[in-house]
Amino acid sequence: MNKRKYSVLSAWLCVLPALLFIGVAVLFPILYTGYISLTNMNIFNWFTFQIIGFRNYINALFVFDSGFLSALGTTVLWTALNMVFQLVIAFVMASLLNIKKLRFRKLYKTLLMFPWAMPGYVSILLWRNGMFNSQFGLLNQWLERLGHEPVRWLASDVSAFLSSMVVNLWLALPFMIMIMDGALQSVDKSYYESAKLDGASWFTCATKLTIPAIRPIIAPAVIITLFTTFKQFDVIFLLTRQPGARTGANIHTVLTFAHENAFVTHNYGFSSAVAMILFFLLIAFSLAVNIRTRRAVR
Amino acid sequence: MKRFAAILMALWLILSLVGCGGNTRSHDPDGPIELIIWHDKEAVVADTLQAELDRLQPDIVVHLERKSGLTEALKLVGNDPSAAPDFYFFAHDKVGLYSEMGILVPITEFLNEDDLAGFLPMTISAATYKGQIYQLPIYFETLLFMYNRALMGDDEVPGTTEELYAFMASGAGGRYGFIEQHSTAYFSAGWIHGFGGMIISEDGVPLLDTPETIAALEYRLKFVRRMPGESEYATVNTLFREGRAAATIGGPWLVPTVRESGIDLGLAPMPFVDATGLYLAPFSGVQGLHVLRVAAEDPIRRPAIYEVLRLVLEPTLGVAMAQASGSAPALAASYEFEEVKNDEMVMLMREIAEEAVPMPNIPEMDIMWLVVGDLLVDVNMRGRDVTEATADAQSRAESLIRAMR
Amino acid sequence: MKKSVERIGLGCLHIFFLLICFGVLIPIFYAFSVSLNAQNSILGSDFSFIPREFTLSNYYAVLFDQPVLLWLRNTVILAVASVCLSMLVAIPGAYSLSRLRFRGRKKIVYGLILLHSFPAILSMFAMFRLLTPLGLINTRLGLIIVYVGTMSIFGLLNLKGYFDSIPIDIEEAAQIDGTSGFQTVMLILIPLAKPAIIVTGMMVLIFVWNEYIFAITFMTGAGNYTLAAGLFSLQATEMSGSWPVFAAAAITVSLPILIIFFATQRFMVSGLTAGGVKG
Repeated sequence: MNKRKYSVLSAWLCVLPALLFIGVAVLFPILYTGYISLTNMNIFNWFTFQIIGFRNYINALFVFDSGFLSALGTTVLWTALNMVFQLVIAFVMASLLNIKKLRFRKLYKTLLMFPWAMPGYVSILLWRNGMFNSQFGLLNQWLERLGHEPVRWLASDVSAFLSSMVVNLWLALPFMIMIMDGALQSVDKSYYESAKLDGASWFTCATKLTIPAIRPIIAPAVIITLFTTFKQFDVIFLLTRQPGARTGANIHTVLTFAHENAFVTHNYGFSSAVAMILFFLLIAFSLAVNIRTRRAVR
Repeated sequence: MKRFAAILMALWLILSLVGCGGNTRSHDPDGPIELIIWHDKEAVVADTLQAELDRLQPDIVVHLERKSGLTEALKLVGNDPSAAPDFYFFAHDKVGLYSEMGILVPITEFLNEDDLAGFLPMTISAATYKGQIYQLPIYFETLLFMYNRALMGDDEVPGTTEELYAFMASGAGGRYGFIEQHSTAYFSAGWIHGFGGMIISEDGVPLLDTPETIAALEYRLKFVRRMPGESEYATVNTLFREGRAAATIGGPWLVPTVRESGIDLGLAPMPFVDATGLYLAPFSGVQGLHVLRVAAEDPIRRPAIYEVLRLVLEPTLGVAMAQASGSAPALAASYEFEEVKNDEMVMLMREIAEEAVPMPNIPEMDIMWLVVGDLLVDVNMRGRDVTEATADAQSRAESLIRAMR
Repeated sequence: MKKSVERIGLGCLHIFFLLICFGVLIPIFYAFSVSLNAQNSILGSDFSFIPREFTLSNYYAVLFDQPVLLWLRNTVILAVASVCLSMLVAIPGAYSLSRLRFRGRKKIVYGLILLHSFPAILSMFAMFRLLTPLGLINTRLGLIIVYVGTMSIFGLLNLKGYFDSIPIDIEEAAQIDGTSGFQTVMLILIPLAKPAIIVTGMMVLIFVWNEYIFAITFMTGAGNYTLAAGLFSLQATEMSGSWPVFAAAAITVSLPILIIFFATQRFMVSGLTAGGVKG
């Protein structure tokens, strides 16, 4: 056995255990979902299902009418707005936290990390019942004390979308601030000194120096967050769409839409087809993102 | 990548073969036969049933396991001998779904007609799907009209919906004269039934765009406008418990917490709709035991299952349940007992049950819960035109039902 | 003159941060004070952050009326096993992806990113159908496999990034000195990558601790629940009438994570970001 072959073998041996787990828990279920999507597995053929080809996909495209397109639009808008706000707010906060003579910055950072440690659904339910509830929510209690009429935060589409975004930012910002903070600390301080001598303003420094410097560092975290935001389900679902607790708003992301229009039918062939279509969409999305970030990083 | 997939495939096969060995539940030949019941009930209900079932010891030991997301879990493990329970204890409305999936056996495999003769006819018909009885009923429940005596006198209790509206509009009952979970299907069905409408026919045809349904939703709007915007459980119940709403329509499960908060609670029959003369007829839910096929086919557990079912045929179980949780027994004989006769709520529920409509038990109903919920949100909260909204909901329900097959 | 301007600026900054921190923490303060409040309804009409009647009975109810200690035990077992196992497979995997050159390496990394983007709820049913014949439903092992598989992707990507940022010269120097490949990894690379390893482990821990969908679906019987799953199932029923107990449970569940979180915080920043330094 020559050395090259040996090293290739050991390389594969090293990754294999991890890939095995990923295969069992992630890859195989996806492939199997693809298989189910080609069958007529539903409650009427629970044990006697057979392969029926692409009929489920045709049915799925039929159900994916205007409702799906608007859900897709909402999802893209949701992802874009959340990412922009996250990046901007996190950048500003992290910059402020890195101002040279600021004391207690450790304390502030610690406090800002709190939302991360609570289970997500607990936080979301706390927000819904404790903050946004129109009868008892804290926000409305304060408004009432100031003499304003109570507001139904989750009742109309726009305000429910914004409220969901606030909650999502609340949940996601701690991670992003930490990433930004770490990235800023790794920037070489000497650049700034020379820029200052040239009389550059804070804004020029940020756009010309800081952002290009931290871009490659934050890129992996940003991509991960991008996908997490795109496939976010809990926030919008638990705030506005929980069965029996609808609030009046009617906003759908692709996931909540698929959940309500496919999974309720108990037709696993059909809902698997919907899942696979979403997967292909995600692949397309990630291809687009991948090309763009490659360009950005290099 | 291809080779990698092939390796994975082979490994899977090996693992599957290894795993298949220990798939059935093991029995200790000398020990008792152990049975498992899944349920989603409050602790009082479970404890009462457990206490009755403990009489079968030491030969048979029954474990009641609380399972959240019970209906989803049964779909997934219902036919898996290693993970499925022997019974589940739940409302009757899923029997269509599970019998189509083939994970239930009719209880007539264990009991004959004479055994079932003592049940109130409504409970047996609720459990019947395609001519087979899939549930052994224990008790049933319906919604009740409840009022706070401090805010609504006994003589003010409305007999008709117009009287109810007049009370709401007069402002006599405080902040809210009457509240209910107006935008959920379960709480709205009573209004649709009160206009002679139905959510879905027995053979699975949605009936949302009928004149009756449209009239019911349109009429109800003026009530909804005088209720809070939120219609979910916690808000509605808290408002009633805090004495900020004079009356509500709610289930018997609400009664203990309401009494605990010191409210002088009155119970009354449902008002009837002036225009039609029909009562607001809520859904009723019959709760009982269902036997899973994997358990019934096991020769060791089969006799034990029979013993458990026999126990449910005794009227004392229904009496104990009624005392513990205020539910109405399914066996006619239970009503002979003084404890039940003297319970105002139980007797009222039995009275309302004469009018109430058992929840449909066909699989298509699962779609209707969602679609009707969305329809109510459209009409009550988003101000959509009723005719338009019902037409949309009807076609959505039809297309989703088509997608089931 | 310039000094006092600077001082005013810093003062404003402090006020700004105090306000922001207070704003961010409101929901948590809210949960905390609700959990200490003796009046039984949170949806009470006039709320104040300082409870009018103070009580610990909600915490008592959480710890002793519910099988919380049992759930805690389940969670700890699952968490420890998942963290150890996923580190055990992710560290050599990431090393191989970062340091060793073989065909298909780039494809694997790209495939991992794709798999990471797939929402697991969509394939839950298939996962269930696949685990059933293996006899892994309703066992801790099944859940551990799912957790390790899901989080290994994150682990591989994050650790690979970090390994990439460690200059290869260090290892080459060691190998010239006669250290074997295995020893180099154990003695040089792993100590250097400590922040990333700790942080990745921490992320796995948070995931397992807060995960409830898999736990509820794959485990039958409340005795097998994890903390998050048990809390979720309580929230859906009995506690909907008793929000103070729910709030107390939420605080109790979050507390261990908060403690570990702040103990490892100093590694967090470098562990997550240094991976990106070399792109």
